[in-house]
Amino acid sequence: MSDRVVITGLGVISALGTNVEGNLDALLHERSGIGPITVLPTRHRGSIPVAEVHLDDDALAALAAPRAVRSWTRTALLGLRAVKEALAHAGIDPAAQRTAFISATTAGGIDKTEPIYDQYFLPEIPDEAAQYLGTHDPGDHAQRIAAELGFRDLVTTISTACSSSANALMLGDRLLRHGLTDVAVVGGTDALCKFTVNGFNSLLILDREPCRPFDRDRAGLNLGEAAAYLVLETEARARARGADVLAVVSGYANTNEAFHATASSPDGTGAYEAMRQALAMARLAPEAISYVNVHGTGTPNNDASEGIALNRLFHGAVPPFSSTKSFTGHTLGAAGAVEAVYAVLAIRHGVHFANLRWRTPLNEAPLVPVTRTRRDVAVRHVLSSSFGFGGNNTSLVLSAPEARP
Amino acid sequence: MKRPVYIREASAIGPQPVFDTDRLEQVAAYTTHPLNAVVPELRRYVDPVRGRRMEKVARIGLGTALNALDRAGGAAPEAIIVGTGLGCMESTERFFVPLLHNNVAGQIALATRCTGYNYTYLHRGISFTSALLDGWMQVGLEGRATVLVGGAESITPDYYLVQRRSGIWKQHDVPNLEVLRATDGGALCGEGAAFFVLGDTPGPGTAVRVVDVDISYRGGAETLRDRVQAFLQRNGLSTDRIDLLMTGRNGDGPQDGAYAPMEADLPQATHAAYKHLCGEFFTANAFGLWLLWSGLRTGHLPAEAVLRSGSAAPRWGLLVDHFQRTDHSLVLLERIGP
Repeated sequence: MSDRVVITGLGVISALGTNVEGNLDALLHERSGIGPITVLPTRHRGSIPVAEVHLDDDALAALAAPRAVRSWTRTALLGLRAVKEALAHAGIDPAAQRTAFISATTAGGIDKTEPIYDQYFLPEIPDEAAQYLGTHDPGDHAQRIAAELGFRDLVTTISTACSSSANALMLGDRLLRHGLTDVAVVGGTDALCKFTVNGFNSLLILDREPCRPFDRDRAGLNLGEAAAYLVLETEARARARGADVLAVVSGYANTNEAFHATASSPDGTGAYEAMRQALAMARLAPEAISYVNVHGTGTPNNDASEGIALNRLFHGAVPPFSSTKSFTGHTLGAAGAVEAVYAVLAIRHGVHFANLRWRTPLNEAPLVPVTRTRRDVAVRHVLSSSFGFGGNNTSLVLSAPEARP
Repeated sequence: MKRPVYIREASAIGPQPVFDTDRLEQVAAYTTHPLNAVVPELRRYVDPVRGRRMEKVARIGLGTALNALDRAGGAAPEAIIVGTGLGCMESTERFFVPLLHNNVAGQIALATRCTGYNYTYLHRGISFTSALLDGWMQVGLEGRATVLVGGAESITPDYYLVQRRSGIWKQHDVPNLEVLRATDGGALCGEGAAFFVLGDTPGPGTAVRVVDVDISYRGGAETLRDRVQAFLQRNGLSTDRIDLLMTGRNGDGPQDGAYAPMEADLPQATHAAYKHLCGEFFTANAFGLWLLWSGLRTGHLPAEAVLRSGSAAPRWGLLVDHFQRTDHSLVLLERIGP
């Protein structure tokens, strides 16, 4: 019988706040992080709302406080801040045992290399550009954070679009269950950058207004930036060292639709399969789920297919659900971990978070989300989904420590 | 419980003529670099019309993935796990198409109609070995029967120059078959793809199994030596049991020094190398694993790959690779049977 894997530390920085407390406060008080662009230098200022961390790079560097600021991209700084918070919360020193660091990103260090890219081809590279040589690839942020904080074992990066950091959590859990590491720090980070704003804009899936997930009149997603990490260890280890067990990893699944390179299937088969298999691993019947943190990007395509999949899985009796992307925007590679952190907060604090700005049910699946944040509810098992571009779908089931299937 | 994990079949494309075979016979010599992958006729696997719109990394990745499955008797994978340091960087450079890092794994899933687990690791020199570790867990510890793992990388013009500016390539031309004698810094840039069908039963031909995989970050030469010792120890092997050592020596003199203490612990083994044949790139160790598998399976390695001859008919094979002295991978293989 393998030992359960538990969560003993959380760290998050998003448009809602620079730490877990700030994020929780915004969620409880229905304070959305979506608004006009104020930090990112882009021609889309004024026309596209985003969910920014309202700190410029210097202020963010001061907050994250790496030993030397040189060569730190915004993606890496966001990650460092959240990893530090998670480690401190869990009371873990990465160098004190085998500690895996599984990170995730989609944009990587492009936020810093895109504005200076042309300078790399000059005969002499100015230092402002030279310091970011080699920060372009997705692995840069993870190595930089690992070096800063003393990780020495497995340090790796997953990039599977919007499911990336949920997949990092899955890998961390598996390494622990097989005894291949003692502690796993899992999560993801993505800074807003012109590359993603322009790319998503060209796909015509950005809402010009704050997004309306699961609403009939939804018109697309808002991009956000964030980093979130969770500390995982076996329950035996956590109990032995007297750590506070925040939640249990009960189940998960990753599926791939093999439907299209970028679009998801209209009938939500991949989403359904990810959720169904995650419940099967957790040995839970659908009615055991207390709250669903849906992927809910606000794009016509995603919400319709996810709604159909939810109806199918829960036989029409969908539990209380909401998309916290109505607060944070879609934070891409970080989204799965951000929402896993929120799932743990929902369990710990007995909350169903609001799905902001919802008015009218979808035509495809007339579901009514949680429209106002509800407190003092019993949350035992949370289903949290992250469905990626290209049909890479992951669902997680996180449970209260005392909840038994 | 832990089950054996076999390499049922494998396929590679790169600067060497290795496609659709399990041995490297005629080593290709190059006098200039980067070393480009020689792309064979892939019509069987990649639709020519769609292929023209695909990046090279996707074409060679898809080609080797499907060829490996073919060679394994038309196996259907339950999971697809890909390592690539840059993903589809060329699309990024040319079209600013976002977030297609997992495009190769997605293309393979489309071609094989595989709706199962689909992961992509992008982490520099351990991109491929992360995929291998994952696949090894899936078969050995989680009961999947057939898992496809691989690594793919192609040189994009911009990124080659950016990396050149950071000093990781030699600034001058050196014949690839002489580069391991170099003492100056920098390696020869290369590219390629290699895929492996992992399974819980051996495939046709001589069986080779993946015994263990270890990935670590940082550490100097002594740390690497200790890591190898601990790795062999946890697998119940003393250093003198290793018959074939495949290192990631790449001709960057100062960096190759990191292998020396570890190599000195294995004096009886055949010492071989592969990065002078395929060039250095984020997933070069996928070709390293291919060559180690080939050496164990066929008993043959080209003379150009062998740095020092040791035991014949090798049984235990060890891949030791580092990238820029930060990303370290160890893979232990065993040939089963005669």
